[in-house]
Amino acid sequence: MEFIKRYLPIAGLLGIVIGVQLLTSATDTAYYLTQLTMAAYYSLLIIGLCVLMGYAGQISLGHAGFFAIGGYLSAALTSNDFSAYRETAVMRFMDTAGLLLHRQSLYGEPLLNIQPWPACIIAVVVAIIIAFLLGIPVLKLKGHYLAMATLGFGIIIFRVALAAEFFGEADGISEVPPFQLFPGVSVTGDFSDRVQNYYIAWGLLLLGLVLLLNLIHSRVGRALRSIHGSEEASEAIGVNTARYKLYTFVISAAFAAIAGSFLTHYNGGIGPSEAGVMKSVRYVAIVAVGGMANLWGVLIMGILLNFMSLRGMFGTYDDAVFGVILILIMLFAPQGILSLRIRNIFRTKRNDT
Amino acid sequence: MKNIVKKAVVAIAAVGMLALPGLQAAMADTIKIGAILAVTGPSFLGVPEANTLKMLTDELNARGGLNGNKVELIIKDSGGVPEKAISFAKQLIEEEKVFAIIGPSTSGATMKIKNIAEQSETLLLSCAAAEVIVNPVAKWVFKTPQMDSDAVRKIYMEMNKMNISKIAVVVGNTGFGQAGKGQLLEIAPEYGIDVVISEVYDKAATDLSAVVAKLMANKDIQAVVNWSIVPAQSIIIKNIRQAGWDVPIFQSHGFGNIKFVQAAGDAAEGVIFPAGRLLVADVLPEDNPQKEVLVKYKNDYESKFKEDASTFGGHAYDAFKILCRAIEQVGVDKHKVREAIENMKGFVGTGGVFNFTPENHNGLGLDAFEMMTVKDGKFTLYQK
Repeated sequence: MEFIKRYLPIAGLLGIVIGVQLLTSATDTAYYLTQLTMAAYYSLLIIGLCVLMGYAGQISLGHAGFFAIGGYLSAALTSNDFSAYRETAVMRFMDTAGLLLHRQSLYGEPLLNIQPWPACIIAVVVAIIIAFLLGIPVLKLKGHYLAMATLGFGIIIFRVALAAEFFGEADGISEVPPFQLFPGVSVTGDFSDRVQNYYIAWGLLLLGLVLLLNLIHSRVGRALRSIHGSEEASEAIGVNTARYKLYTFVISAAFAAIAGSFLTHYNGGIGPSEAGVMKSVRYVAIVAVGGMANLWGVLIMGILLNFMSLRGMFGTYDDAVFGVILILIMLFAPQGILSLRIRNIFRTKRNDT
Repeated sequence: MKNIVKKAVVAIAAVGMLALPGLQAAMADTIKIGAILAVTGPSFLGVPEANTLKMLTDELNARGGLNGNKVELIIKDSGGVPEKAISFAKQLIEEEKVFAIIGPSTSGATMKIKNIAEQSETLLLSCAAAEVIVNPVAKWVFKTPQMDSDAVRKIYMEMNKMNISKIAVVVGNTGFGQAGKGQLLEIAPEYGIDVVISEVYDKAATDLSAVVAKLMANKDIQAVVNWSIVPAQSIIIKNIRQAGWDVPIFQSHGFGNIKFVQAAGDAAEGVIFPAGRLLVADVLPEDNPQKEVLVKYKNDYESKFKEDASTFGGHAYDAFKILCRAIEQVGVDKHKVREAIENMKGFVGTGGVFNFTPENHNGLGLDAFEMMTVKDGKFTLYQK
C-alpha cells in the first residue's frame, strides 16, 4: 500500500510528461518543449534544494554556485582546447583511455577536448568535494549566519567565473559540444533532437525525484525532519545531526551540478549569470513558494515559474518577480502557495454545500 | 443561471476558434522581426536599441510598411543573460517564425545563439562589438558595430603622431573590455608601441585609485588607454585627475555615451577616443556622406525620447535599415535577403558607410571611426 502510495504520483507524472509531448506534437506546438526541457533541469536543482531546506531545515543561498561548478567545468573541459597540453603525462594517459575527443571547430581548426562523459563526472565530483569541504564548517552555523556563509560561497564562484580566462570571463563559454549519453542519444540543443532531449531532461528529473522521495521516506528522512524540528532534541535522541546535514548538503549540491552540466550541453554554452546571486535567490524563492517540505509542490512551482521566466512572461521584471514572490510567501503563506489555495478552495466548497 | 454562463462561455470560445483562421489570414503578409536586447541588466545598451527599433518600425508602418507588408517587431529583454537569449532565440525562430533577429546587445549572448541562427538559417544582425562574432565568418550572422581592431588602430595611429610609445592599458572585466585588451596587445607591435602594464578592473567598482596609483608608480608611461563599456570607466578618469596625474587618456568607442562624460565631470575634458560620427553629427562638415542620416536619426530620437542619442541605438538603427533595404531589393525570401546583405555596397548608416562582402560580414573599415575628444562637457572632433 505504502509502495503504491509513493509511486502512483510518479507514474501519474510520467503519464503527464508523455501526454504533454504527444499533445504538443499533435498540435504542432513542439516548441514549448524547449522551455520545458530547460525548466526540468532547473527543477532538478530545486528539488535537491527542497530536501536541504524543507526537510533538513538548512538554507543555502549558494546553490547557483554548485550549478555553475557543474556547468562551467563541463563546458570548459569539453570546449577549451587542450592541444597545448597534448604531450603531458595526464593527457597522454587520458588519450589512451579514450577520454579525449579530437574534433574540428566550426571553421576547421583542430581541437583537443575532453569527452563529455568524463568531463561531467569530473564536474560533479568536484562539486561534491567542494560541498563536502564547505559543508563541514558552514553547516555548524545557523539561521542568518548559514545564509550569509552560503551567499558568500555563491559570490566567490560568480567572481571566479567572471575573472578566469579558463571560464571565458564575462562572455562565458560558447559552442559547447553535444553530450552523447549512448550512441544515438545525446544532450544537445539541435532542433531535430528536441523530443529526445525533453525525455532525457524529464527522465533525469523523475529519477532524481524517486531518489529523493525514497530518501525522505527512509530512516534518514525521519532523522532530517527531527533535525528540522529541533536540532538539540534530535541530538538528544541519538541522531547524528552533523552527519545528516552534511549528507543532504552534498546530495543537493550533486543534483545542482548534474543539472548544470546537462543544461550547459543542452544550451551549448554557459555565462556567468548562471552563477549569480539572483539565481540562488530565485531557487530559494521557488522552494518557498512550493511549500518548503513539499517535494511535489516545489516541483510544480519549479517547472511553472522557470517555464514562465524562460518564455519571457515576466518581461523586464524577471528578477524582481522572484524577489517579490519570496517576500510575499514569507509574509502570507509560509507553508507555500499551494497549501494556501487548496485550503481556501476546500473552505469555499464546504460553505456552498 | 450557472448553465447560461457555461453556454455563453462555450459560445464565445467557439466563435473565437472560428475567428482565429481569419485573423491568421489577415496577418499573413506581416514581416516579423525579432529583437533580443539587454534592456535590463548591468549595461544600459538595450534601452536605446529598443527605443530606436520601436521608432523605426512605427515610422515604417506609418509609411505603408515594407513592399506593402506590415512589419511586426517583437522585442525580448534578455537582461544580458545568455541562457535567456538562447531560450528567446529558439522561441522567436520556431514559434514566432521571425524573418530575422536583431541583437543581442552583448557579445556573450550573441556567441551563444550564433549556432542556433546558423542551424535554423535565420538572419542574425548583432548589435554587439566583439570581433569573434563575424571572424571567422558565419553564413547567417552579421554585425553592425565597428571592429574593435579598427578602433585600436585609430588610437595607435594617433599615438604615433604624438610620439607616444610606452603606454598602460586598463580594461573593464566585461567581454568588451577583455576583447579590447586582446586587440590592444596584439596590434601594439605593428605601430611600435610598447604596452608597459595592463590592468583589469571590476565593472562594478566605485573607486579605482589603487589601480591608478599602480600605474603612476611606473614613470615610463606616456599615455593610458582605458578600454571599457561600463560606468566604471569614468571612475578611472576621475581618479587619474584627482591624483594630479596629467597623462593623456585614450578611451575606446565604448566611451561614446554622454552619461560617461557627465559621470567623470571635469576630468573627462581632453580625453581622446575613436567613435562613430553620430556623437558629432551637428558639427560634421556638410559634405560628409553620413551627415544627413546622422542628423535625422539624432533629431528624431532626441525629440521622441527626450534623451541623447547614443551610438548603441545607432547600431540597432543600422541593423534595421540594412535588413529593410535588402528586403526592399529582393523581397521576403531569407536566402535572397542574406545574399543581398552580403553584397550590399555603399550603405550609409550611423556607424559608417557599409560595404559588405562574403568575407566581411561587418562591412565597416577604419574610416568608420573619427577621433574625438571632450570639450566643455560635450563630444567634439579631435583636432591637434
